[in-house]
Amino acid sequence: MEKRIVQFVKALRASGARVSLAESAEALQTTEVMGIQDREAFRVSLRCTLIKQASDFPRFDALFDLFFGGGPAPAFDNAFSGLSAAEALRLAEALQQIPPELGELLERILRGDRLSPRELELLAGRVGLGYADDLRYQAYLAERMGRILRFRELPEALRELLQRLAENGMAQDRLAELADRFGANLCSWQQQLLQFAGRRIAENLGKDRRRENPEGILHKPFAAISDRDMDQLRREVRRLAAILRTRIALRQKRAKNGQLDAKSTLRANLKHGGIPIEIRHRDHQLKPKLVALCDVSTSMRSCSELMLSFLYSLQDQIRKTHLFAYIDHLEFISPEFNGRDPHAAVERVLVRMPSGYYNTDLGASLENFADRFLDTVDRRTTFLVVGDGRNNYNDPRLDLFELISRRSQRCLWLTPEPPALWSLGDSDMIQYRPLCQTVLVAGNLAELSSAVDHLLAGR
Amino acid sequence: MPTLGEFLSPQQTLEALGAQDYIASTDIATVVYLSQQLGKPLLAEGPAGVGKTELAKAIAGATGRELIRLQCYEGLDETKALYEWEYAKQLLYTQLLRDKLQKTLAKSKTLGESADRLAAEEDVFFSMRFLLQRPLLHAILSPNPVVLLIDEIDRSDAEFEAFLLEVLSDFQVSIPELGTLSAVHRPIVVLTSNNTRELSEALKRRCLYLFINYPTLEQELAVVRLKVPELGPRLARQAVELVQKLRTLDLRKSPSISETIDWARALVALNAEHLDSQTVETTLNVLLKHESDLEQARHRVAAAPPTNRPLS
Repeated sequence: MEKRIVQFVKALRASGARVSLAESAEALQTTEVMGIQDREAFRVSLRCTLIKQASDFPRFDALFDLFFGGGPAPAFDNAFSGLSAAEALRLAEALQQIPPELGELLERILRGDRLSPRELELLAGRVGLGYADDLRYQAYLAERMGRILRFRELPEALRELLQRLAENGMAQDRLAELADRFGANLCSWQQQLLQFAGRRIAENLGKDRRRENPEGILHKPFAAISDRDMDQLRREVRRLAAILRTRIALRQKRAKNGQLDAKSTLRANLKHGGIPIEIRHRDHQLKPKLVALCDVSTSMRSCSELMLSFLYSLQDQIRKTHLFAYIDHLEFISPEFNGRDPHAAVERVLVRMPSGYYNTDLGASLENFADRFLDTVDRRTTFLVVGDGRNNYNDPRLDLFELISRRSQRCLWLTPEPPALWSLGDSDMIQYRPLCQTVLVAGNLAELSSAVDHLLAGR
Repeated sequence: MPTLGEFLSPQQTLEALGAQDYIASTDIATVVYLSQQLGKPLLAEGPAGVGKTELAKAIAGATGRELIRLQCYEGLDETKALYEWEYAKQLLYTQLLRDKLQKTLAKSKTLGESADRLAAEEDVFFSMRFLLQRPLLHAILSPNPVVLLIDEIDRSDAEFEAFLLEVLSDFQVSIPELGTLSAVHRPIVVLTSNNTRELSEALKRRCLYLFINYPTLEQELAVVRLKVPELGPRLARQAVELVQKLRTLDLRKSPSISETIDWARALVALNAEHLDSQTVETTLNVLLKHESDLEQARHRVAAAPPTNRPLS
């Protein structure tokens, strides 16, 4: 059992959950306390030790079912058992008349034979199940195995069979019963295939695999990353954010420059007999107030999402955040981030403003902003635009941008494009550039991380 | 009714919490039981107002322990959470004891000698007498076993989180003047988080994780019936159905269980017989606290009133 749990932990890790060594040791410890007789209690005890994030629960539940026998085993039922001797003979005769391979298959399903492990292995070999290491392929591979078993031709063959039986004078309700049982047994076969595929994939996940090099992905340009890379990047963001957070917190702690804090000074100087040798100041370093406009059109999505992930993870270092997303118009998206992980939040935002037929238009978005949200920008606000400045030749509305820039304490721009591209095509970067205090260029995660550091350092 | 000490099994935990008017799911009971068995802190996460704090209170009640609560906020530091020397009292004592001090020091001939004598008396000023115990130290030093509730840990700073790690893993504190103080009884620790920011991996690793979500209709109905027994069963069901429906809407802040209970009380206070649109209209602001949410709810709910509404 221990070995099974260790495999399970490996599979969890491979599927993207973060499980530390201490946590897996603890999982083993809990199973000693709880035992494994009660499946539900076993599941809860593993879950509370291994998974520390509600968004990983579905992943855990799916894998748990595969590893520790989830759901009832598919039931089989012999259709021959309900027939009288004469009827069974008639059925056998009718089956003889169906083309041989299909006929055998029909008979097996009617009899309720299970697929044997050997057969399953053969099928697995033919669809390449040994190489699959993503649960998303489960249904697809099961279906392909079904196709090899000629599931598609079965309804036609069954119809033929029933017709022959009807011609031979089998009662109508008997026929209906046969069809029902056939349907149920076929369903069980499909379930068996699905479970088999799932278990096999889960086992593949549990095997040791070469880890991809995180340094490589840090420097991969945003334009070249795939969905899979994105998963890894999201994990990297969490790690980098933790590093940044401590750095920012330390910086804020060291750089105290506010009013004299009499109480704290007294307390600190007690050891000097009340003579104020160490002066303490009230923490007056204001955490920045942030207003961020993020371009979520297709070309900018990954960059924006990662930036938003950073901001989400570093929320406690920011006093107040107002997040906006834009493509051709502006949406206030802070509520979406409330208690959700950034990936899910961005997906919800995209449901509200699907990209596709329309074009990025920062000018119109700035107009929306100035109409409705201008009061979020004051002299303590850092105003940030995440975008490539490609405006599809729409009016860039420099007047509004200047207005906002003047109202804010700092105005920053974050773009994934290097300066060499700013003057090409529909880019308006050259025009926006003089109105911003700084333009940060972040074409990959490493650069993005240092840009965020710069952003929160203030000044 | 078992009031002392320990939970014996998940099932018994469920019943003991039930006796404290806390309706727990089997998940909750199992994790609570495990956290006590393994001596690990319990990290309860979930939307605001689903009864995370109540859970800690119920555990305290069920085990007959004292509940010590530490409310976290931004800027919370060790002096507020752990201990502080009561310097004002120290100063006061030195003033009042001046004569006595002078008498003690009078006999000494040299400066060195008086310094030595003073040093010998030093312990008087750095003793438990002048130590202001904040919740964490209080929980550690308490002679009786306690439940320590660290509420809304996600509001505190990252530094405080790191500091907590030390306390939570060993349950001991070192005070330079007094030495290391370790726990008399290992407290049951419950941390709650509203998930407004991600907690550090290190803290999560040390805790058992419990996610408490909004309850199902039956669970919530049971809670309402328990807390507001005056509300008729039919009306209670209608009310809970409406709340559950509100939660499926895309609101800025979904109504929590505590708000459901407040609403139920409001319905009782208004002597409502049934949920007609008039009553709903006037009391909806107990459930929803944002203007935009109210607007949306009025549109959606008023258009489709709750089931079996009598014709008026």
